[in-house]
Amino acid sequence: MTRLHPFTLLAIAGALPALAWIFPAPAGGLATAIVAMGLAISARAFRTAVFTAAPFWLFLLLLHDVPTTVAIGLRITTMVASFVWVVAALPPPRLVEAMVATGWSATTAYVFAATLSAVPVLRARARRIADAQRCRGMSPRGGLAHRLRALRALALPLILSALHEVDERALALETRKLGPGTRRTPLSPPPDPVSGRVARWSLVVACLAALVWRLR
Amino acid sequence: MSVRLLVLIPVAAAISLALSAAVDAVALPLFLDTTGTILATALAGPVVGIATGVVTSAVNSLRNPTFWPFVAVQIIVALYAWMAARAGLFRSLKTAVPAGLGLGVIAALTSTPISYLVFGCTTTGGIAVTTALGKALGLPPLGACFFGSFLADFGDKAVTFALVSSVLHGLPRRTAARFPWALRAIGAA
Repeated sequence: MTRLHPFTLLAIAGALPALAWIFPAPAGGLATAIVAMGLAISARAFRTAVFTAAPFWLFLLLLHDVPTTVAIGLRITTMVASFVWVVAALPPPRLVEAMVATGWSATTAYVFAATLSAVPVLRARARRIADAQRCRGMSPRGGLAHRLRALRALALPLILSALHEVDERALALETRKLGPGTRRTPLSPPPDPVSGRVARWSLVVACLAALVWRLR
Repeated sequence: MSVRLLVLIPVAAAISLALSAAVDAVALPLFLDTTGTILATALAGPVVGIATGVVTSAVNSLRNPTFWPFVAVQIIVALYAWMAARAGLFRSLKTAVPAGLGLGVIAALTSTPISYLVFGCTTTGGIAVTTALGKALGLPPLGACFFGSFLADFGDKAVTFALVSSVLHGLPRRTAARFPWALRAIGAA
């Protein structure tokens, strides 16, 4: 499955939850959940899918009766398992290559790739700032006002330092001639055979047909 | 859109997603997941703000897919923050906090139908518990769902607006002047 074109993988991950919500519960949700969990197992992401979906079942039981819990729970499980599968099966750089190859602007691809790479950097910086502020006597304990002041002492340096990097990053991009509307030629675009494109459109048609059938 | 504003989008989205580490350190029941959207809007206007909100939801969905249906909330937040920036409501905490409380109500009104119809009001543990509290108080299902979302969003958005106001005032004037909306948002232009 991981050899499929990134857009085909995304189409499968999008179609399964759509069908789970369109088909009558609980049979429709059960069928799509089984398929989605099978895909998650194939990508060795079964545990992640189960641990992500399990809290929803607990909260649903807290709020609803058993039939409603099963109906909504199977739909949420389908959604979680299919997304967990696609995240495990599709490396972000491959998606970026596919987007660029199909004519998406290089800036769109940059925005997603830059966000994905910036999050762990900023999280690590947030932890370093927390350690530094603790060394300076900041205590995260106490009443609400005290904690809010502590939050300000942690968040402000993090946000201001990130904003100061904007100019450096902009300069780096300008020197590489990456501006809005820029097109790039991908180095190794993923192959997109006719069968994959037919499969993607078939999924779209299947979802629309299921919706029409359900609304009749 | 200039390259600087383009770069602001991933930086602001990453701020939204990284602030959870700061929130964890002080153990407050806050999300702050719209901080980057509000900040980007106050600095650079609604287009950059909406793009930041969509990117934040998309990247957050890779960690937990249940965030994706709430992308509509991020767009509403960006539009509201734009109006607040135009009105100069980030000029002080006295104006920013009430504006944030107003956003809390609007965000709860926006997120309640999504949470109710798609997830049966079970989006996060905290909201599920407060929704259960609403049910225990005798509220109808949709009312209990709004009650849970309202409790979560009301304080969160007020703190977020206060934080963004502090950031805008903490930026050096030379840096703020490089963004088209920053000075107007704090009432300095």
